[in-house]
Amino acid sequence: MIWHITKREIYDNLNSLRFALTTVLLLALMVTNAVRHLREHPKQVQRYRDAVAESLNQLTTHAEESLYKLAQYGPGNFYKKPSPLHFCANGSEPILPDTIKVDDPIVFGTVGSSDSYEETVVLHGIWTLSYPDANLQNKDVGPDVSQVDWGFIIGYVLSLLALLFTFDALSGEREHGTLRLMLANSIPRHTVLIGKFLGALFSISIPFTLAVLVNLLLISTSSEVHLTTEAWGRLGIIFCLALLYTSLFLALGLLVSARVQRSAVSLMILLLTWVTFVAFMPSTLASIASSFSPAVSFDKYWKQRNPVQEDLWDKYGNRLWSEASDEETLRAKSGFYIDKVDNSERRSEARLRYRSSQVHRARAITSISPATLLQHLIEAFAGTGFERHLQFVENTQRYARQLREFVVDTDRGDPESLHIINVREGMSQKPISPAAVPKFEDTFDLSQDFNTRAMELLLLGLFVVVLLSGAYLAFVRVEV
Amino acid sequence: MLLTLIRRELLDNLMTFRFAAAVFITLLLVVANTVVLLKDYEQRLTAYNTATQESHQRLRGQETYSYYIGKLVAHRAPNPLSIFNFGLDKRVGNKITVYHAFVPTIWDAEKHGADNPFLNLFTSIDIALVFQGILSLFALIFAYDALAGEREQGTLRLVLTHPIRRGDILFAKYISAMLCLLVPLLISLLLSIVLLTTSTTIFLSTNDFLRIGGIVLTSLLYVLLFYLIGLCISAMTRRTSTALMLCMFVWGFLVLVYPNMILTAVETTPQPEAYISDHQQIKQMWEEWESARKQFLRNDPVLGPLSRNGEGWGLKLKGVEYSFGPREDKPSILLYFYQTGFHAGKIGAESEPQVPLVQDYHGFYSRGTLNTVNRTWLVRKPALAAIYIQPANLGRTLLKFSPVGLYDAATEAWAGTDLAGIQDFFSAVQRYRRAVLDHFDDEKIFESRQWFAADHGTADWDALPQFSFQRSDIITNAKRALPDLFLLLLINLMLFTIIFLIFVRSEV
Repeated sequence: MIWHITKREIYDNLNSLRFALTTVLLLALMVTNAVRHLREHPKQVQRYRDAVAESLNQLTTHAEESLYKLAQYGPGNFYKKPSPLHFCANGSEPILPDTIKVDDPIVFGTVGSSDSYEETVVLHGIWTLSYPDANLQNKDVGPDVSQVDWGFIIGYVLSLLALLFTFDALSGEREHGTLRLMLANSIPRHTVLIGKFLGALFSISIPFTLAVLVNLLLISTSSEVHLTTEAWGRLGIIFCLALLYTSLFLALGLLVSARVQRSAVSLMILLLTWVTFVAFMPSTLASIASSFSPAVSFDKYWKQRNPVQEDLWDKYGNRLWSEASDEETLRAKSGFYIDKVDNSERRSEARLRYRSSQVHRARAITSISPATLLQHLIEAFAGTGFERHLQFVENTQRYARQLREFVVDTDRGDPESLHIINVREGMSQKPISPAAVPKFEDTFDLSQDFNTRAMELLLLGLFVVVLLSGAYLAFVRVEV
Repeated sequence: MLLTLIRRELLDNLMTFRFAAAVFITLLLVVANTVVLLKDYEQRLTAYNTATQESHQRLRGQETYSYYIGKLVAHRAPNPLSIFNFGLDKRVGNKITVYHAFVPTIWDAEKHGADNPFLNLFTSIDIALVFQGILSLFALIFAYDALAGEREQGTLRLVLTHPIRRGDILFAKYISAMLCLLVPLLISLLLSIVLLTTSTTIFLSTNDFLRIGGIVLTSLLYVLLFYLIGLCISAMTRRTSTALMLCMFVWGFLVLVYPNMILTAVETTPQPEAYISDHQQIKQMWEEWESARKQFLRNDPVLGPLSRNGEGWGLKLKGVEYSFGPREDKPSILLYFYQTGFHAGKIGAESEPQVPLVQDYHGFYSRGTLNTVNRTWLVRKPALAAIYIQPANLGRTLLKFSPVGLYDAATEAWAGTDLAGIQDFFSAVQRYRRAVLDHFDDEKIFESRQWFAADHGTADWDALPQFSFQRSDIITNAKRALPDLFLLLLINLMLFTIIFLIFVRSEV
């Protein structure tokens, strides 16, 4: 019986104007998305490859020169690998930095006498990780719009279309009197409701699936974009997410449609709910949430940072400027370099952590809106967005540790070295084979994403269940 | 008769659920957002004040003139009307260094750094955006059954049995819709203005109120445009539910889909890579000048010969404490410059005869530098316009095919947060840089001893001209907003004529 009603619904919808408009709209959006991706993605990948090749080149040069050079200059900048699923969610990538810089060592020197210009003591320092601020590279003064990615299409357009498909599902039939006719047969009400729900879901899935297929067809036929099996798996998950999210709005539509007498009023209520929950609430709540914790100004940050740096100079004191190269002096220099780098990295990491905790708080609060939930989920599975950025940061930190350990271990293998790391006189001067040096690889894996996002997934499912049962309760008690 | 019609329409509309919903939702969103925006503005203002103070102190802490880069800074105060439309106010940098070795532009500006840039991940909503989304929706909701509904119920036939012209009916509907939509617009704006005036940090001048008036006018025209779109659909369709659905599709397309889709489809992101040759040219000009300078030093019997890298840090003066070489190389904004300098606390007596030579050298150095800056600016200015301004303007023009783009552009222009308004500030900074350089020239500061040494009197920063910036006057704002406003009006008239034609010819 359910199937019967579903079929009727689908036939009804297939012939309607809204079905045609939906198909055209979704197709246009998905084609735009694919075209954009085909234009942008190869460029991005090329830029990434060039940048990585340059970093690798630096690493090789330093390694071939000596272990000390490698310890001093480090591996060259780190670059975030562009996700092949960038078209699903662009994840505000223009705002997020795609680089983590490896700062060159800062050299301090003293000039002995003014005539010679010969530096007597030079402190060389070693490389430091620094996290560039967001948005600094973005100098665009054009209009501010969101990119048409799957997240936008599903989150905004598909949800609006879902409401347009269900607003008159029950109230419209009641207006026409067909509902009474249908219920005069021995059909239980929940069957009608489920039939309606499935019918609407199928009829909206048809244009959506079509648009998605066209989109993927366009993208996968291009020789420059390669989608791996894992990427297809992720796309499958995103597609299911889209259906879940659409069901949420279908259920909402049914709920309101069951309670309200006239379909025009029902659409109005639905639209207002949509505008409030999808369009406005995420941003407003984010602004409110982010204003809870005060921002730390740059000058304040410097003021906190400088005393610590000065303490360091005091701690190692005169030993640093000594011209002698006995072991004690070298050890002091080594300790100074390591402490200095450690300090500055710890500070910038703390700053980053403070900022990301602010962002996390704002994100948690905005999760009340299903649109934000969906956005987070799609970003997670597409491998873009803020969480991905943090993952990238974590990857580089892990690699930095690994490389530093590698330097220590290799140095230990050289019998001529004094094993005083980061000081020229105390370290192995031998070249090392670049192949032996660990290389940085930016990775992201599916199972991890799935675990961290399970909560949000459950929340989204819960929304659907609550709304559906709400619609059932409303429909059972309503008089026809 | 027209009055009776208007009164009837007005009463019909005012007593409905949708009117109550319109007022309530608009009020809720506007008030909630105003509170948030106000807080945000206050934070930005505090950040501006602290930053201004800090850079003031840092400049005063400088004993010699030469190392004033990064200390002489012009700060851009947040625009109080950015609450109505952010425009570029929050996005563009608000701290710009004034230095003789480059001409300051929008792209050289940085942020105070007080805020968390990652929070830009969340889109922020201004009042224009609320109106843009919600009032247009309400306009359509008011309009969809204006004709189709009356036709369905048969009241239209009834009305037309009286000797009333059809144009009058349309006009009455238009006027009453205007009045009805004005209510939520004005009430919510009034409340937000009340909230603004209770805040102690925000001061609105008479001109600001006039600008807000301009925003109200623009909003009204924008909303009426959507009402007419709805009326047009209503005149063309037989059934109200079809009309409503079509209205929603049109709304979704114009407000939601078109602006994002067109800018995704058309490439409007800046492509600085295409102008890398200009950057090379600029770099080369600087390198030429560098070698000329080194030549000058090398030929000088006293100041030369130079150190092994040819820099001549400190020019062999006794008492030099530190030297510096501010350098920028940013291909994406075609910024390149290179300077060297040093600071001496007290110049040793044995170097004293050398000091006039060093002063002369600095005069030569600054003249050459300024000359190079002027030459590079001739290359840099058009290139920057081609990289950044042209695509931005293209994007804005494309957006104007939707009323949303027109509305956004016009309200930005009223608020003074559009590109032209922001550029006013940077032109002021450029003028200020000129004034500072003139002052340096008049007082012979480049050639003075205080340029590099602090022993015979220190730098007098208070004599420097002060930077001040006044937002453009209301007339300029109006001039910038007028084309879009005019377009909105024109589309209104056009749509009204079309509806009139459809309605006159349609059978009831």
